Amino acid sequence: MRRKLLAVIALMLSAVCLLTGCQTSVPSPGDIEGYDDGEEYLSIWVHTIEDTDEGWCYKESVRKFNEAYNGKYFADIEFIPRNDSGGGYSDKINASVMSGGLPDVITVDGPNIAAYAVNNIIQPLAPLTEQERSEYLASILDQGTYNGKLYALGAMESSVGLYYNKDILKSAGVTVPEADDPWTFSEFLEVLEKVKPVVAEKNGYALDMTFPVGEATIYYYAPFFWSNGGDMIDETGLVADGVFNSEKNKETVEYFKTLLDKGYMSAVPVDKLFESGRAAFKFDGAWEVNTIYTSYPDINIGVAPYIVGEDWNGERYTPTGSWAFAATSKTEKLEGATELVKWMSGAESGSLLCQKTKSLPSTYKAFEENDIFRTDENYRALYNQLSKYGHPRPKTPVYPQVSTSFQQTLENCVLSGLDIQSELNKSVERINAKLKRYTYDNE
Amino acid sequence: MAFFGPALVLLTIFLFIPMILTLIFSFTDFFALNPDITHFVGFENYSQLFHDEDFRQAFGNTVRFMLIIVPLQGLGALSLALLINKVTHCKKYFKVAFFVPVVMSLAVVSTLWIQIFSPEGILNSILGNFGIDPQPFINSASQALPSIAVMSSWQGMGYQMIIFLGGLQAINPALYEAAEMDHASGWKKFKDITLPELKPLCIFVFITITIGAFRMLVQPMIMTGGGPSHSTYTMVYDIYETGTVNWEIGLASTMSIVFAFFVMILTVIQTVVTKERGNKHADKKK
Repeated sequence: MRRKLLAVIALMLSAVCLLTGCQTSVPSPGDIEGYDDGEEYLSIWVHTIEDTDEGWCYKESVRKFNEAYNGKYFADIEFIPRNDSGGGYSDKINASVMSGGLPDVITVDGPNIAAYAVNNIIQPLAPLTEQERSEYLASILDQGTYNGKLYALGAMESSVGLYYNKDILKSAGVTVPEADDPWTFSEFLEVLEKVKPVVAEKNGYALDMTFPVGEATIYYYAPFFWSNGGDMIDETGLVADGVFNSEKNKETVEYFKTLLDKGYMSAVPVDKLFESGRAAFKFDGAWEVNTIYTSYPDINIGVAPYIVGEDWNGERYTPTGSWAFAATSKTEKLEGATELVKWMSGAESGSLLCQKTKSLPSTYKAFEENDIFRTDENYRALYNQLSKYGHPRPKTPVYPQVSTSFQQTLENCVLSGLDIQSELNKSVERINAKLKRYTYDNE
Repeated sequence: MAFFGPALVLLTIFLFIPMILTLIFSFTDFFALNPDITHFVGFENYSQLFHDEDFRQAFGNTVRFMLIIVPLQGLGALSLALLINKVTHCKKYFKVAFFVPVVMSLAVVSTLWIQIFSPEGILNSILGNFGIDPQPFINSASQALPSIAVMSSWQGMGYQMIIFLGGLQAINPALYEAAEMDHASGWKKFKDITLPELKPLCIFVFITITIGAFRMLVQPMIMTGGGPSHSTYTMVYDIYETGTVNWEIGLASTMSIVFAFFVMILTVIQTVVTKERGNKHADKKK
């Protein structure tokens, strides 16, 4: 009886271990097809499932890496699904940080690079040659750099366009300026005033603009703050007081309030306002171009340069950022891991992703290889904006709180009409509470 | 023991150990990205929580949600059960029709209701026919929580309705027959026979709705993201955000403990209150 009981318990324990995936050990050569003697084994995790276009591209890039480095390295890819807010994949990373089961290379979302670097989850890549560095867009190098060291490189870049409906602007008699001479805040107000009667006839709004909860709000609207001389956090990423709640930022939030008060945008989100031809302008990710081309061919879409503050001097200010590859601090094979990161973020992988998913690549070469950036004026405009004016999101270990505070500030001040200065100050308090962990040693 | 063993092993691994760990973590500054620098901080997390405006607001929202949904869903389920019990035709059809939302995924229901609540959605079109201005519903800080509560009670009502229906059918018909002989009115029959007979079920139903209300997460996550202006930010949402988005497992554990403690107190109060009333009722009868 007792033996039986022990057997049952042992069986259950082994089942539980199987279920919870207790520590997978490093495979030996021959265990996996293609992994031969003498090759260095490199494990890599990506944040998507295999069945998506993106997942297929990663798989294909790893296959090509294994071909190119046959006899030297063998990369083994694992697909980990994630939900919209990044859960699932990041939970797995967190759990592995605790249990010590991190692979050699992981993908990290751009704004999280600082937190991962400060907390020693990823380590700086092995040095790249000048030639190698020059292949990447400045914005991708900037995104991957923290405290002067390069930690991550992405295969994709992203941008947000100020899209306009050509037909509406034509009816209103508005011409769009050149890329290097964007509308300033006040000029844009005049433009909106001109298009207002045209869209009013269509029961629409001049601007299709909302402040959605999540990453989109800071991603779309941080350029308003940067181009107006403001920021969310200082250069060290550790001081928010005097930056987030600066006079300049207050001014920018007031500008958003003007957009609502003058009736240029709706206080409640209206579904498909721009797509149904009832809005003149919309801020949205680069994917919007493809959405319009494929699902709303009647809309005559154009990309206008992102608007800027009155005192803008040509600094970088437009949205950027995407998932990037980085070597974990756990890996002892930094050279190999760096090679894999370079390959996965290189021109060939970026080109493949661009063709399959219509994302913007991260290297100059991949842009050259894709005809779409020469033949299509909208994609060309987005690329020019990205390569010339791309600005990474705030680099700070408390980025999630900065992003949340940013969205809340706009929502509370613009839509709910709360006092701007006190909301900005409240945000600083919240960010400071999270910063304590990092500033503790300095006190 | 041999039969109990497997369940015990699984329960220990997936329930008891996590519960104990949560309690331990709640006294630390455990940070998911850097577990090596965890310190024991005593009651600091607890005191921080009570000064945390977001948590207090989330707590208030959860209580408000509970106050709306418990009577709405409980009484709604009871009314539906009474109606269906009376219906002579298509009884099965009505049962299934009211139960369908329960088996649908909350995520699907929420997505559906975003459309229903949208400024140009069906609900506003219907209101428009009655000359009522379009309402912002989930896009307004004052209407979002009640809107979600209405949707949630619609979604969950079917389950409690089936429970009540079972209870109604178990009532001895002789009681009603006796009442009829005494010429009791419909209301009297309901008050003195149906309700007392359903008493134990009512306690169960109200407690399950309350606990369900406290666990609300999916609806605001999908429909409003906790907004506008944090008006639909619930305790569980706060726990989720703190633990997985901001990586502060220690603080999130503290929130979970406070949350569990509160639900426990509430359940005890509810049981005691409903029991006392039941006893008083029984005394009166004597």
